[in-house]
Amino acid sequence: MRRYNLFYFIGEALKSLKRNGVMTFASIAVLLSCLLVISGFSLLVLNIDVNLEKLGTLNEIVVFCQPDATEEEIDAVEAAIHKLDNVDTVTHSTKAEQLKQLKEEDPDLYGDITAEENPLSDSFAIKYKDNDKVSTLDYELKQIEGVRKVRNSLDLSNKIEGIKQSIMIVFFWFLAILFVVSIFIIINTIKIAVLNRKKEISIMRYIGATAWFIILPFIFEGIIMGTVAGLASFFIVKFGYSAIVNGAGEDLAMLSFVGFSDISTYVLLGVLAIGILTGVIGSSISLSKYLKD
Amino acid sequence: MIEFRNVKKSYPNGTVALKGVNLHIDDGEFVFIVGHSGAGKSTLMKLLLCEEKATSGNIIVGQYNLTTTPNRRIPHYRRQLGVVFQDFRLLPNMTVYENVAFAMRVVGTPSKMIKRRVPAILNTVNLSDKHSAFPHELSGGEQQRVALARALANNPSVIIADEPTGNIDPQMSLEIMNLLVKINKLGKTVIVVTHEQSLVDYYKQRVIRIQDGLVIDDYVGGMFNETV
Ligand SMILES: Nc1ncnc2c1ncn2[C@@H]1O[C@H](COP(=O)(O)OP(=O)(O)OP(=O)(O)O)[C@@H](O)[C@H]1O
Ligand SMILES: [Mg+2]
Repeated sequence: MRRYNLFYFIGEALKSLKRNGVMTFASIAVLLSCLLVISGFSLLVLNIDVNLEKLGTLNEIVVFCQPDATEEEIDAVEAAIHKLDNVDTVTHSTKAEQLKQLKEEDPDLYGDITAEENPLSDSFAIKYKDNDKVSTLDYELKQIEGVRKVRNSLDLSNKIEGIKQSIMIVFFWFLAILFVVSIFIIINTIKIAVLNRKKEISIMRYIGATAWFIILPFIFEGIIMGTVAGLASFFIVKFGYSAIVNGAGEDLAMLSFVGFSDISTYVLLGVLAIGILTGVIGSSISLSKYLKD
Repeated sequence: MIEFRNVKKSYPNGTVALKGVNLHIDDGEFVFIVGHSGAGKSTLMKLLLCEEKATSGNIIVGQYNLTTTPNRRIPHYRRQLGVVFQDFRLLPNMTVYENVAFAMRVVGTPSKMIKRRVPAILNTVNLSDKHSAFPHELSGGEQQRVALARALANNPSVIIADEPTGNIDPQMSLEIMNLLVKINKLGKTVIVVTHEQSLVDYYKQRVIRIQDGLVIDDYVGGMFNETV
């Protein structure tokens, strides 16, 4: 394709988009909402993941020894833990350390407790390797002599995983519907554009214009609509996200949010790619008749 | 060179428009095609333009055999034809200049070349002073001259005109025919479908008469014949 043709194609596409103002606006609006939903959900899921990782305790099992266990007994428990298959790292926390921490946190309540009275137990925080074999590990840990209690957060982590999956399913269907609507509207916009230029197209054919030459302005219409929707959704997400994070930052201080600057490139590329792809697919479908010859 | 060898054409609805046409037109000839309404003249033109495919037989134009030319080659084939229709088919939102330039842009002519060539072509059809007028501001004859200019834009070797004077006044018709003859003198093959007996008689060129889908007469020198 020669360079001066590119300007011609874009120029023709812009003219036609202007002529079909209402349809163009509708296509861009629907595509834009589609992209906003995608970005919104993606950011939501991303932030859920980040916060879960930060909580960290979700893939951790804690083993408590007897309160009156001797040092030998505690060492034996630790050795037994290390022998198990699925164990990655083990962090020992003595009951003295735990008491010290409690005293720091709330001197009024815990200040008087002496080392002899200490009701706490030594514990081992275990990170495991394989998520799927946690229940086996849990069982094995309970079998170790001198273990009083095993605490895992399997239930919670399963619940959160479940919620995440439901969100994903809703997200997926919502998205699929929006996409179908977007493509449908784009197909119609391009069809109207083709109808508007029917006479021009028939003359172009007589003169000897190639099929591609006739079609490309319409494909460019799709590309332009996709680009506009992509850029618009990028800026809306950028400002909307910052506003939400700033607003929520005060109420939900314990949550951490992904900074927009860390992901802005991905968001931009993502919305542009999806927007342009949808535009091209939509216009190609409505032009398939012309593409054949 | 244009050659029809036993060309038959039936339309999907069953109408048999051409029943075995044989024709030979040399480069640089001027040919009138005449015949009753419904005889198959426009069908002949449509086959030449590859707007329709022949049902059987062969059509050869220059190095192209139209029966075997793949669809993707057709645009390139059409570039050696210039077409003029009865209803002009100009683009209403473009000026005279733009209508002609459009034809050149469509086949990828560089802008520089377009700027040089369009005025020259408008001069050939005596429309230099109307270059920035829109089609609705022109008379039928002037519009047809724009169409002729557009047909000439890409320097085709063959000009095909299907009833070019069908929608315009007699004096204007004469001017269009004169232009077609002038274009023929410049070395282009010109094929004109017409109902205008007086013009055919006047120009004394080769006349091919079609009737019921067959060539029934092919002679030189006017005399339209009383049957029309
Ligand atoms: N697209 C079509 N589908 C079906 N039949 C057609 C079609 N085009 C033309 N015909 C038929 O084919 C026959 C020849 O038509 P054609 O248009 O070639 O005639 P013509 O000689 O150009 O007539 P006119 O002088 O009225 O323009 C006619 O019977 C016509 O009805
Ligand atoms: Mg006809």
